[in-house]
Formats: sequence, structure tokens, C-alpha cells
Amino acid sequence: MASAHGHGPLADRQHAVLLKKRILFFGGKGGVGKTTCASAVALAASRAGKRVLLVSTDPAHSTSDIFERPFGADEREIHPRLFGLEIDANLEARRYIDTAKAGIARMFSHAIAREAERQIELVSGMPGVEEVALFDRIGDLIVGRFDAYDLLVFDTAPTGHTLRLLRMPELVTTWITALSKRRRALLALNKDIDQLRLEPEAISPEDDPILKTLEARREKLEQVRARLMQHNFTGFVLVVIPERLPIEETARAAELLRESNVNVCQVVVNRVLPVDAEGDFYRSRRAQEQVYIDEIRQRFSQYPLVWIPQLPTDVYGLQHLDRVSSLLSL
Amino acid sequence: MSLDDLKRHFGEFLHGYFVSEYERKLREQFVDLNDLFMLQCFMELVGLPNPAAIYLLDVYPFFLEEFHTWHRRMGMDRSPIGSMPCC
Repeated sequence: MASAHGHGPLADRQHAVLLKKRILFFGGKGGVGKTTCASAVALAASRAGKRVLLVSTDPAHSTSDIFERPFGADEREIHPRLFGLEIDANLEARRYIDTAKAGIARMFSHAIAREAERQIELVSGMPGVEEVALFDRIGDLIVGRFDAYDLLVFDTAPTGHTLRLLRMPELVTTWITALSKRRRALLALNKDIDQLRLEPEAISPEDDPILKTLEARREKLEQVRARLMQHNFTGFVLVVIPERLPIEETARAAELLRESNVNVCQVVVNRVLPVDAEGDFYRSRRAQEQVYIDEIRQRFSQYPLVWIPQLPTDVYGLQHLDRVSSLLSL
Repeated sequence: MSLDDLKRHFGEFLHGYFVSEYERKLREQFVDLNDLFMLQCFMELVGLPNPAAIYLLDVYPFFLEEFHTWHRRMGMDRSPIGSMPCC
């Protein structure tokens, strides 16, 4: 059992807290070991008999390297009961744009559609397209694939990116709500004008395709948002290492998540110097690390902490992952 | 012109006489509201970021006709947005 520098054993309440969740997000500064932890938790859960989907949203996609098996853009079983998927934001953006294009092609003449196609290509280069497409895919998974699995594990991109992603539904929902309210007012007015005619056309706001599309969009976003904030089954795991910059970034992330009402269910402190490392060099390093460890204890006191020592070798392959799982007390 | 026709025309005349002013006001209001709605949908035009821009791709096809009249009224001869290929 890993505890930072012999500060007593882990509290029992932390045991398997992660495995009680249905949706887990792993976040933290780049390179602190998010993918390793996410993979270890996913593997442990599948070994415990759960059907697990491990989703990598990090463009770096190291999950396939850790498992030494190729992941794809669609769900595939990489180990008994453990399914993997790597979201390619670029590809998702393509899919989204293609859908929009198909919509235009269906409704307008060939000449217009061809012209439109060329022009829509420009939109696909707009900033934020990939982000929205990525969020959409995550949303589809946590709403649409929720019942197909016992646990969904998301290995996310470095902190800033992920936080923006989690806060996006709020922003976009507000916007779309305003739009659909305005559209509704317009249609009501249009109906009033229609009523003044001798032979009204009986316009119904509910038939308006624009309003329908906006409302469908809003409903979907609301669903995703609700699920993200369901504390009893959705949790965010922050991974940090005992160093200055990761601590700062993670503290900010924890604060933002709290503001967005997302539950941080665990802070994993990775790569703590092992207690049994001997020699002057390690003694001196440990003394310095102790400062950061104390700081972590203080700043993350409200979250369950788990400590993982630096391992003698790199982590890849099932055997190493099992080791990490046991260190995570799963 | 038969008596029935005459009655009908007179009826329509009265309807127009009493209702037209009211209808004109409503139409003015409609146009103003619509301008605002369009502006919110196409904020990129005035250089402001639109957080829902990508999601609006879904509804753009439905907008094509309305958008055309709108950009003409706004004094823009050709479609100012590449992805709205009305003209």
C-alpha cells in the first residue's frame, strides 16, 4: 500500500470509491499519468466483472500504447469485458460537417448543393469545430451508451481543454435557449398576423423546422449536462504529481470543477518517491518532495487522496497495469 | 356584378379598413424581431463569436430563404456568409 512517506495507511473509505461510479473522467496536467490511471481503473473494473468502456479523448492517444493493442474510432473489445475507443476529434468534426452537408443536399437543387459543399469546407476550419464535435461524441456516449456498460472511463486531454469541454454545455445551452425563445416569439407574432386574414392558414409554431431543430439540440445538451452533474454516479479523478506547476494547475481545475458542480471524487498523487529508495541523492530529493506533499495534503484536504509511488519501470502492458490498480487500492 | 359579389367585396373592404393599420404594426414588429433573431444566428457577420455557431449548421438549410431576404434588406447584395449559398 502506498502512502506518502509513511504517513499511515490509506483511509478505508477510499477503497473502491471509484468502482462505485458509472462514469469517470481522468484529468490533470500533461504527462502526470492520466492515461495510466484511467487504464488501470478500467482494467481493474473489468477484472471485477464489469463491462467497461475506456474512451481516450486525448489527441495523443496513448491508451493503445499502454495496452499494446490497437484502439479504433469505434468500440472494440481489447480484453475480456474491457472495450476501448479513441475519439478522433478531426474525424468527428468531419462527420458532423458531412451531416450538415447532407441536410443541404437533401433540400436544395444540385447546383446549390455543390456550391454549398465547397463553402461549407470553410466552416470546418473554424476554431472550435473539433471541440464541439468531440463534446458531441462524448455526450452521445454518456447518454446513448450508458446502459450498455457498467462503467465508462474517459481519459481526457490536459486540464484546460477538458474543463472548457465540461463547461461548454452550460454556455451553449444558454445561447440556444435564448435563440429558441426569440424564434418562438417570432412565430407567435406571425400567427397573430395570420389570424387577421379572412382565411387564416392555421400556422402552428410547433411545425417550425428551425424551432424543432433548436429544441432537439437543447434537450440533448441538457441531458448531457444533467448526467455530468449527477454526483452519485459521475466522478472526476484529478491526477497530480508532487511538483510546483502540476499542483497549481490541479488546484485551479478542482476549483473550476466545483464551480461547475462536477464532483471530484478522487485525487491521485502519482510518482511519489518510494520510501525504500536509499542514498543521499534520494534523501535530498525526498526532503524537497515533502514540501509539496504537505502542500497537496493541505490544498486538497477536502478530497480523498491516494498515493502512488514512482515505479522502477515504465508502465505498459497488463501486468504493470495490475500493479497500478492494486496501488490505487482497487 | 352580382349582389353576393358586392357583399363580399364590401366585407373585405371593411376588414381591410379596420385591420390593415393593426396588421402593419404587427408586421413591423415582426421584421424587427426577425432582424434580431437573424443577428443572433449570424453574429460572425459583425465580428462577434457565436458560441453555438457549429450547432447552427443544422438549421442553416432551413434559413436559406429567410436569410436571403434578410441580407438583401441589410444592404448586402450577395450572401455575406460562405456557408449560406443563397446567392
